[in-house]
Amino acid sequence: MSVQYPLERTAVAPLVPQLTWGDEVWSFIRKKPLGATGALIIAVMIFVALFAQVLAPYDPYAPDYASPFARPSASHWFGTDEFGRDVMSRVMFGARIALFVGFVASFVGCTVGALLGVISAYSGGKVDLFLERVMDILLAFPLLILALAIASILGPAVRFVVVAISVPIIPRAARVVRAAALAVKENQYVEAAGSLGASRRRVILQHILPNVAAPYIIMLTAQLGSAILTEAALSYLGLGTAEPTPSWGLMLSGSAASYAEKAPWIALFPGIAISLAVFGFNLFGDSLRDVLDPKLRKKA
Amino acid sequence: MPTPIRRHRTLLAALLLTLLSLTVAVPSAVQAADTPRRGGVLLAVIGADPPSLDPHQESTFANIELVAPLYSTLLQLDPYHYPKIVGDVATDWKISSDGLTYTFKIRQGIRFHDGSPLTSADVKASYDKIIFPPTGVRSVRKNAYTAVQQIDAPDPATVVFKLKFPSASLLDNLASPWNVIFPKKYLDKDPNYFKTNVVGSGPFKFKGYARGSTFEGERNPDYFIKDRPYLDGYKFFISPETSVRAAAIRSGRAYIEFRDLPSAEVESIKKQLGDKIVVQQTPMTGQWGIAINNSVKPFNDVRVRKALTLGVDRYTMAKVLAPLTGLKFVGGLMRPGSDWGMPQVDLEKLPGFGHDMDRNRAEAKRLLAEAGYPNGLKVVLKNRNVKLPYQDFAVFLIQEWRKIGVEVEHRPLETAAWFSDGQDTGNFELIVAPTVEFMDEPDQFLGRYATGSTQNWGRFSDPRVDDLFSRQARSLDHAERKKLINEMEKIVLENAYFMPGLWWSRNLVQWAKVKNYVAPPNHYTNQKLQDVWLSED
Amino acid sequence: MRTYILKRLFLIVPTLLGVAAVVFVIMRVIPGDVALLILGGDQAGHIDKAQLAAMHKQLGLDQPLINQFGAWLWGVARFDFGTSLWTGRPVIEELLGRLPLSLELAILATIVSVVLAIPMGMLAAARQDTWIDYVIRVVSIGGLAIPSFWVGILIILLLVIYFGWGPPLEFTSPFSNPWANFQQMVWPVVTVGYRYAAVTTRMTRSTVLEVMRDDYIRTAWAKGLRERTVLIRHALKNAMLPVITLVGTEFAFLIGGLVVTETVFTLNGVGRFVVDAVAHRDYPVVQALVFLIALGFVVVNLLIDLTYAWLDPRIRYR
Repeated sequence: MSVQYPLERTAVAPLVPQLTWGDEVWSFIRKKPLGATGALIIAVMIFVALFAQVLAPYDPYAPDYASPFARPSASHWFGTDEFGRDVMSRVMFGARIALFVGFVASFVGCTVGALLGVISAYSGGKVDLFLERVMDILLAFPLLILALAIASILGPAVRFVVVAISVPIIPRAARVVRAAALAVKENQYVEAAGSLGASRRRVILQHILPNVAAPYIIMLTAQLGSAILTEAALSYLGLGTAEPTPSWGLMLSGSAASYAEKAPWIALFPGIAISLAVFGFNLFGDSLRDVLDPKLRKKA
Repeated sequence: MPTPIRRHRTLLAALLLTLLSLTVAVPSAVQAADTPRRGGVLLAVIGADPPSLDPHQESTFANIELVAPLYSTLLQLDPYHYPKIVGDVATDWKISSDGLTYTFKIRQGIRFHDGSPLTSADVKASYDKIIFPPTGVRSVRKNAYTAVQQIDAPDPATVVFKLKFPSASLLDNLASPWNVIFPKKYLDKDPNYFKTNVVGSGPFKFKGYARGSTFEGERNPDYFIKDRPYLDGYKFFISPETSVRAAAIRSGRAYIEFRDLPSAEVESIKKQLGDKIVVQQTPMTGQWGIAINNSVKPFNDVRVRKALTLGVDRYTMAKVLAPLTGLKFVGGLMRPGSDWGMPQVDLEKLPGFGHDMDRNRAEAKRLLAEAGYPNGLKVVLKNRNVKLPYQDFAVFLIQEWRKIGVEVEHRPLETAAWFSDGQDTGNFELIVAPTVEFMDEPDQFLGRYATGSTQNWGRFSDPRVDDLFSRQARSLDHAERKKLINEMEKIVLENAYFMPGLWWSRNLVQWAKVKNYVAPPNHYTNQKLQDVWLSED
Repeated sequence: MRTYILKRLFLIVPTLLGVAAVVFVIMRVIPGDVALLILGGDQAGHIDKAQLAAMHKQLGLDQPLINQFGAWLWGVARFDFGTSLWTGRPVIEELLGRLPLSLELAILATIVSVVLAIPMGMLAAARQDTWIDYVIRVVSIGGLAIPSFWVGILIILLLVIYFGWGPPLEFTSPFSNPWANFQQMVWPVVTVGYRYAAVTTRMTRSTVLEVMRDDYIRTAWAKGLRERTVLIRHALKNAMLPVITLVGTEFAFLIGGLVVTETVFTLNGVGRFVVDAVAHRDYPVVQALVFLIALGFVVVNLLIDLTYAWLDPRIRYR
């Protein structure tokens, strides 16, 4: 049986919440109403995305040539577009694509970036130097140009758009995580744990990871919103998803502006959807950071 | 002490002056409505930058709209009486009785903008460049002049075209707005000189070009037609976003858009500005279709191709797409309603042009099953990622093909890649392919269906088609030519080598103060602006 | 300190080389032969193999990639960034023609954002979890959530529908015609600035919050200093470091990254130029511009890092 060194205990204690999950959630809602609102928005979006098949009244691809540009009404809550397709159904299915792109791009980008950041920070020396340079190179590229170039090479399928968007995220996540990992590494208690004989793996898992978990989660939520916006911008420029896919960015592009006076609902609802999604993720992410970042705790 | 009369003297003087000025002003106000007013700069918007400034080497509106006012051509289309041909630099011409010699008289006294005189040598040099381009120099329309054997300039006022065989279309093709006359001395030094420089003899002189921003020309005071141009100059603003261009017109920052604006924008503009705006709606000598790659499976099977064209309801497509994109008229390979267009009653017998869609779709499914695809087919449709009309055209087709069990993956590509895949490498299954020319000329429109033509994106080869094409090119009898053309069309459409979609129509939007601009049936001709005037600044 | 500076300067070189190499490779990998494009165009005629080969030769594309890369690097070392494959004019000339506009937009947007963001961020931090904080956070998140191109188009539409007014379509320097310049720039600056302010506000808020927890601030409170003094004289200085980093990197981004804004507002800026160049496979332009943007970015980063190192001795000795 290993002796419980009080050193380890207290070192870890401030980083790990003492309360149960249920208590934490409830106190989160009470103390951070904005974050809770954000969480609610996200939950609704996820729900709609998952059950779009059931919830949507029409096939998002099905045209109705007899009633293009129909005003919002009982049969079409958000109206119809230039081909008579139901805007609400398209927005609902669009949630799938937006969330898919957002989650996957953000997750892949942040995770790969975090891994690289931790490796870089922990290994130090030449590995760190090399990885840092690579990240610098990727960072120095204007985000849109990089995404654009990748999209040009790979083509406009949704899966390629995801890759194109996740690549610029990697260096940004790596940078943040590396800084957090470095900060912990410098911390004396970690040095102490190491000198006490804790294995490398233990140091990483027990000390470094919990400390980078917070920035990682924050980055994840922040980049989610940004990923959704980048997809919209790429679609607007004609390099993202292709017609007739019901992606929000695509619905906002070019002709939506031409129809804006005649049928503003075509652009309005996808625009609101994008804004709401990014808004929700950011609200939630902000409050999450307030809670998770040990330095920001009000009571500290 | 001032007498009453003296006091009133100033008043009287004022009254007299006013009366006098009225007598002058009123008639001139009446005059202004009739006679063109000199002065003013025409502000226009355009949607793209030209790849280069040399019209011989380009075929995009972004080139010709900008540079046409700076140059002259040998012949031109009469803007008021399409498709009549009149001379520009040529004053009159004679065709020999065997149809093999064309002699043109060149107007004397024309000067290029650098002061040097325009002679037949310049005409010859320019046409040599078009028809017999030196290596490394592109000539986009070379193939329209295969009939020409050689060009001579026996004296400064005469140009002679000698032909290998008689050609009914030569005169029309010589009226191409793209065939501008360059000064020989620059061509001798560098045939690509005019890709980045301008020296012309047109009504306007080149003033400046800021890529991505503006293109300007100013009046040529030595233009060979007296009193022209009326305008002091013209200025194009380059803006790729359609709604931004529409907003520019609406706010009066620009007075005219020469290509096309979607009906929705036109409605809004008309609603807001009423009589201040004039909309000229013209059919266009151009169509959007689908090139099917005949050299890959399963499209080498005529049944699959026929199924694809049968599955499209072109009449509904016209109804749906017309207000969105201007694609409005159902027709074959030559423009419906034009001299060469196939009569509707014959067209309807060909696959894809019948009205009974239920029967057509059933037939399409049957053909697919017969060809080995009873459960449908997955295809990739490549497209250009320009919004109008490419995207909407594809969306409709995709929705139609779904109904016969064909699942389409839509891949819009950048212009560069689209063009490369379509024309150069043939790396596609189906690809959206437009055909837009400057007039309804069979050689121009039909050349692409001949074996080995670089414009034959579908890469098919049918010797009957080739034979009919070369026969019609040589036929001088209008009725016979028409028959040959119709037969050629029938073969192409029955075998669905190529799938025509819809013919184009456009809305040319301008402020009413832009006078005397008659919109031709395409945005390539009548761009010289020499007769255009502004009724107010 | 000197060694630190030298070390950092030295490290710039591989970064820039890396950027140059990546751009180079990417441009060659994107499908679409530029020679074919120059010769080809929209509805081309016959393409002669000999013509194509001649064009390749003329553009230097027949050389092995390493040679091409080397030649380009050599040019860069002499400040010769080549000539555009499409306009035939030197890339530098093309860039300088567009730089004033992009620069003006970036500078004005930065000023707008900093002037708005720093006070708002500080206020939100000082009043964390109160309604002031909520309002500021909602407004600033709103600023980043709404797609910028959408906002831009909406603004133009509203202006033209209700006022019949549109912005000028051509750039005039603020020094020659300030009013025309204002009319063209005001809405893009507002659109970009709002978004930028939103990002900066949030960053300011979070760094001020962090700094407020530090011990020396607690000391200041304990000393009984007024809130304003604590905030401005003590917290602000330290909080500004990450904010300056953010402003700096965002500024670098603004020069080349505003493609969509430039498209919507008809601005002939650097962003659109780069995207167009990519579309045309205008290799020299893309390479030069991405390289220069990366250079700017790296230099800005270096300056910021040097400032950090100067202020925080711990970093220097790593």
